[in-house]
Amino acid sequence: MSDLTRRELLQAATAAMAVPLLKVRAAQAATPKFFTPAEFALVDEMSDMIIPTDAQSGGARAAGVAAFIDARLAEAFEKDEPLRWRAGIKAVEALSQEIHAKTFMASTPEQRLALLTRIAAAESDPKTDAEKFFGQIKGATIRAYYASKIGIHDDQRYKGNVIQPGEYAGYDAT
Amino acid sequence: MTLIRFRASPEQDVDLSQTYDAVVVGSGAAGGMAAHVLTSQGMKVLLLEAGKKIPIEQELRSMEWPYDHPRRGEAPPGYHAIRFNEYTVRQPPYAKGSAFKHVFSYVGGWGGSDYVKNILVDEKDHPYTGTRYAWVRARLLGGKTNIWGRLALRLSDYDFKGKTHDGYGEDWPISYADLEPYYDKVDLYLGISGHKENLPHLPDSLFQRPNKLTAAEVKLRKSLASMGRTVTPYRAGVTTDGVKNKYRSKCFGRGACGRRPGGCDIHAAFDSPTGLIYPAMDTGNLTLRTNAIGHEVLVDPNTGKARGISFVDAVNHKTYEAKAKVVILAASTLESARLLLLSKSRQYPNGIGNSSGHVGHNFCEHVMGPGVTGLVKELVGAEPTLDDGKPGGFYVPRFRNLQDKQPGFIRGYGFEGGAGFSIFPDSAWNTPGFGGQFKKSVRDHAGAFIGMGGFGEVLARYENYVDLDPEVKDAWGIPVLRFHYQFGDNEKKMCEDMANAGKEMLEAAGIEVIGVDKTILTEGWSIHELGTARMGNDPKTSVLNQFQQSHDVKNLFVVDGSSHVSASCQNPTWTIMALAWRSCEHLADEFKRGNL
Repeated sequence: MSDLTRRELLQAATAAMAVPLLKVRAAQAATPKFFTPAEFALVDEMSDMIIPTDAQSGGARAAGVAAFIDARLAEAFEKDEPLRWRAGIKAVEALSQEIHAKTFMASTPEQRLALLTRIAAAESDPKTDAEKFFGQIKGATIRAYYASKIGIHDDQRYKGNVIQPGEYAGYDAT
Repeated sequence: MTLIRFRASPEQDVDLSQTYDAVVVGSGAAGGMAAHVLTSQGMKVLLLEAGKKIPIEQELRSMEWPYDHPRRGEAPPGYHAIRFNEYTVRQPPYAKGSAFKHVFSYVGGWGGSDYVKNILVDEKDHPYTGTRYAWVRARLLGGKTNIWGRLALRLSDYDFKGKTHDGYGEDWPISYADLEPYYDKVDLYLGISGHKENLPHLPDSLFQRPNKLTAAEVKLRKSLASMGRTVTPYRAGVTTDGVKNKYRSKCFGRGACGRRPGGCDIHAAFDSPTGLIYPAMDTGNLTLRTNAIGHEVLVDPNTGKARGISFVDAVNHKTYEAKAKVVILAASTLESARLLLLSKSRQYPNGIGNSSGHVGHNFCEHVMGPGVTGLVKELVGAEPTLDDGKPGGFYVPRFRNLQDKQPGFIRGYGFEGGAGFSIFPDSAWNTPGFGGQFKKSVRDHAGAFIGMGGFGEVLARYENYVDLDPEVKDAWGIPVLRFHYQFGDNEKKMCEDMANAGKEMLEAAGIEVIGVDKTILTEGWSIHELGTARMGNDPKTSVLNQFQQSHDVKNLFVVDGSSHVSASCQNPTWTIMALAWRSCEHLADEFKRGNL
């Protein structure tokens, strides 16, 4: 706090907080707004398989990724976007029926992993709708998870967005 | 007029019956500086801004966490930012026929689009036509200074005397020695952070304490030094030690500047309202009229001199006249050219100040796109550190065509770059697979990347120009600009060299090159448009004299980037302000002597 005077702190604080900020929590969907309960369950499970809980941090489920995706799709301006999700989920379910004769959620964890591994294998050049869905849900999961509280603080242990009253962090250009 | 009074009733307060000493059109870096210098000299100034005044602190919310925003910083549904492929595949006007409610330039597509949706113009209301151009505009008090990139560089005689150096184009009518005292004034009045390097082609400023480098940046700096090149901490138009200005705080390294399209809610980064305009209002000599879209410089038919500005109210669409003894345009390079061209009269059939036919021409900027990304292996798996608490990463000053002579191109380019941890691990997008391994890989690599991209001088060419579209008008019925502008062979060759040189530099530092981007971004992408009303000593080939005064109309000045004779490869904002300071000092002297 060496070179931080009271006046400067006040100045910074009043400038930033001129008006109390309206903080709105990310939607915690008790019931999904766009997805059907079955679709939501699939998205929730698959996102958590993409970014699972590990020793470092909670995964996509804990971070509420599916609820975030659901809320965005429910209000989407471009209506082909939610339709693409619905079609992708349908393609995944069709593939699940084809290889395991069960819905994705009715499958065993091993069977789900086998399915996800299969559609992820073509990540760099997806052809089928199910393969394209992997890219879609992975991208959305990344976007939501790494901007979540768990993603930023627990997983990445991000050190920024703090007031540095004295010396700045880093190295001198000597 | 006080700030408080203005806030209560901005438009109705303004007295348009009187004749002001000067009217300034535009409140960005140039207009703010004109207001500052002229009011401090005791002149009564009316400042017109086309946009509104918004509560910018509420807009920027610099320290808001992504998860405290309902859409993680994204704008509401119905807002659309033009994408790179739209710029390249389609022709302007880009928003024509769009189903979206609001369309913004590409800057609206950066992370945090919700924080700029009231700062950028809606392309639907502000069309333009002609060749492809990514034109970024911000209509509000302060203009683009509210979100500028903050890199604050000086030009040198390699720029001012470019023709003498390599034979191309025109020299500026001034040299570095003429401008140096004014760069100093800008440094001291507004504050600038940086590290002295003693480079003749990138003169040092009067720096406040520099921002620090990350581990990877130090590594590159050491390596480049042995090649005779420099990695210097981002020279930021940000006060790190504070300035005497009650509207601004010093920088506390919070770092939101890199996470968003820009903007600083404590005003440590320079912006025109807090840095220049509010202090100017405190002199009692400044009157501000917002929502005032200038559309014609009015002419006294007897004297041929400018007598004021006609403007349209952005809200009620009515036309008003503002009368002044001196008219100063500072509406931006392209808007000032548009305004000159719109001001047709019997005396000035081609637009006021345009007897040379050069208004709109010699349009130039910076070309960008090529860049490199590297992986610093020893940093993989390192403990997270605070790397992004600063207004920018690093700058590599120009190194081409100084002593050497490149075979493929003239002039030069610099690199802007950064390295280390940031709030979002961008590498996640390119990390293959899923599951525990994917998650760990993203975590381990998050702070190990370094990236940099080039900014090159686009040659000023008469053939690159804007004019008025004979048919298309904006939402206020004012004819829009039509672009006739394309990169040439010199820019393309320079861009090839950028990518190669970038790769070479990372390799020399022992950094693994994982990406080389050779794509040239659409014309306009740098947001550094310059040169549509250039200065010069010859009235036949230039629009303004060395004091940014019209050769044709002695009480008309154009003090923004349109006056620049060449683009240099160094970012223009600090030069725009130094030139405006110099010209307005001259203007005030001449005004007092009765010479205008």
